[in-house]
Amino acid sequence: MSEKVILLVEDNPDDVELTRIAFAEAKVANQLVVVSDGAEALDFLFARGKHADRTPDDLPSIVLLDLNLPKIDGREVLQAIRADERTRSLPVVVLTTSTEPFDVEASYALGVNSYIQKPVDFKQFVWAVKQVGLYWLVLNHPREGG
Amino acid sequence: VLVTVRAVFRGTVLHPMLSADRQGQAGGDARFRLAMASSGIGMAIVDLDGRWSEVNPAFERMFGHAAAEVVGQPVAMMTHPDDRAASDDALRGLIGGVLPTLDAEMRYLHRDGHAVWTHVNVAVMRGADGEPACLIAQLRDITAQRAAEAALRDCNAELERINRQRELFAYGVSHDLRAPLRAIDSFAALVAGQYGDRLDDTGRDYLDRIRNAAARMSGLIDSLLELSRADRSELKSEIVDLSLLAEWVGAELQDAEPSRAADIAVQPGLLVRGDERHLKQLLTQLLRNAWTFSRDRDRVRIAVTGERRGDRLQVSVRDEGTGFDMRYAERMFEPFQRLHGPEQGGGHGLGLTIAQRIAQRHGGRVWADSESGVGSVFHVDLPAADDNGRDT
Repeated sequence: MSEKVILLVEDNPDDVELTRIAFAEAKVANQLVVVSDGAEALDFLFARGKHADRTPDDLPSIVLLDLNLPKIDGREVLQAIRADERTRSLPVVVLTTSTEPFDVEASYALGVNSYIQKPVDFKQFVWAVKQVGLYWLVLNHPREGG
Repeated sequence: VLVTVRAVFRGTVLHPMLSADRQGQAGGDARFRLAMASSGIGMAIVDLDGRWSEVNPAFERMFGHAAAEVVGQPVAMMTHPDDRAASDDALRGLIGGVLPTLDAEMRYLHRDGHAVWTHVNVAVMRGADGEPACLIAQLRDITAQRAAEAALRDCNAELERINRQRELFAYGVSHDLRAPLRAIDSFAALVAGQYGDRLDDTGRDYLDRIRNAAARMSGLIDSLLELSRADRSELKSEIVDLSLLAEWVGAELQDAEPSRAADIAVQPGLLVRGDERHLKQLLTQLLRNAWTFSRDRDRVRIAVTGERRGDRLQVSVRDEGTGFDMRYAERMFEPFQRLHGPEQGGGHGLGLTIAQRIAQRHGGRVWADSESGVGSVFHVDLPAADDNGRDT
């Protein structure tokens, strides 16, 4: 069985590049699939639209979700993931620049697994992404078939 | 007019004010009439058929009608169409004995047609037999008051709109200003790390400058958000152990600069009522300030004490640092006012503004005393609390 992918939902190309670098530095080998808006994120997860040829059972190991996204924003993506039987237990980590307490509250209320604020400082950013990778891809034991 | 009114009053024991005159009914009537005529408030007598039977000069001025024009006319004719049903109900209730008095806001029509918002108070006057004899109404023009209320409502709506706007703005600052900064800092760091050996010292120095500037701006954004939160977020009201918070803040400062020798003495048991998160923020600003401006000293010495004054607690944060010139004692609480450059440890000029804002939201304020070269003391006035849980 091939390694599961990591789905990164991020519209800022700089942050995409930095996340790639951070995962590379953390030696996370899983393929990083990047989608730049909420609608495409859902298309990918539910294997529809331009991702219709994907196997819907082949879910990513983790979804890294920005909150402020074009079309369908991160909160709605999270809501849709939690509302569907197939993706209900998929680990979702909000990875955002916002420190607003109400974003944190709202994300947990919608069933996010973790809320990580992206630090401005590069070293801290790499550190944070490494922790995410370490926890969700190494330490955490997922549900069978989930 | 008089005849009509006499007919209503005749043989009745009226209002206490009227019956107090033991010399007879005629004397009571006269005094009542005099009181009515000289009153600055609109007064009227309404008969049991719901018609005006007497009105005073203040009433005439309020509605532009001469008494002769309205006496004998139904009250309903002068009532604004939208209030007519309510007015009719009330009159029926009063006359029928269901309603002892009426206290309401209604619109009556001025002679020129415009509506006059009126606060109306109506009481039933009963005869000796206990049966209603007539109604006495007091009418006060509240047009100005209503207009003021409407203006206040508009202001509140506008205020809410501005607050929403400000929240969105803060959100934008939080998110959209930070993201590019991360790119600036990170790619500068990557260039320094991966290509640093191909640069000369000047090139590497420039990269350092870029990263330092990004870090400063990041700190500034954090402070702007902190100020915005101090302004807009709802405050909890709980009993807060300020001594504990001060110890905590002191420990954080020491952790951030472990090599610095420091004595932070906190008087125990300083209890106040307020929002713990905000109060910690306030102490952080004051203690960090004291810490920063003690940088020239061998040892940082900070004392946090409190003194009860009635239902307030005056908390003082004293340092033995460089102090400041008292000429700037007021100005330093304004945003972006710095007394020191970055090389002297000056920050972005928002810390004391944040502290002041938090104190103000707790009904108090922050003020400072200093002697240049000897040290500073910052005082905060906060609502005191007792440890038995009751407010003071």
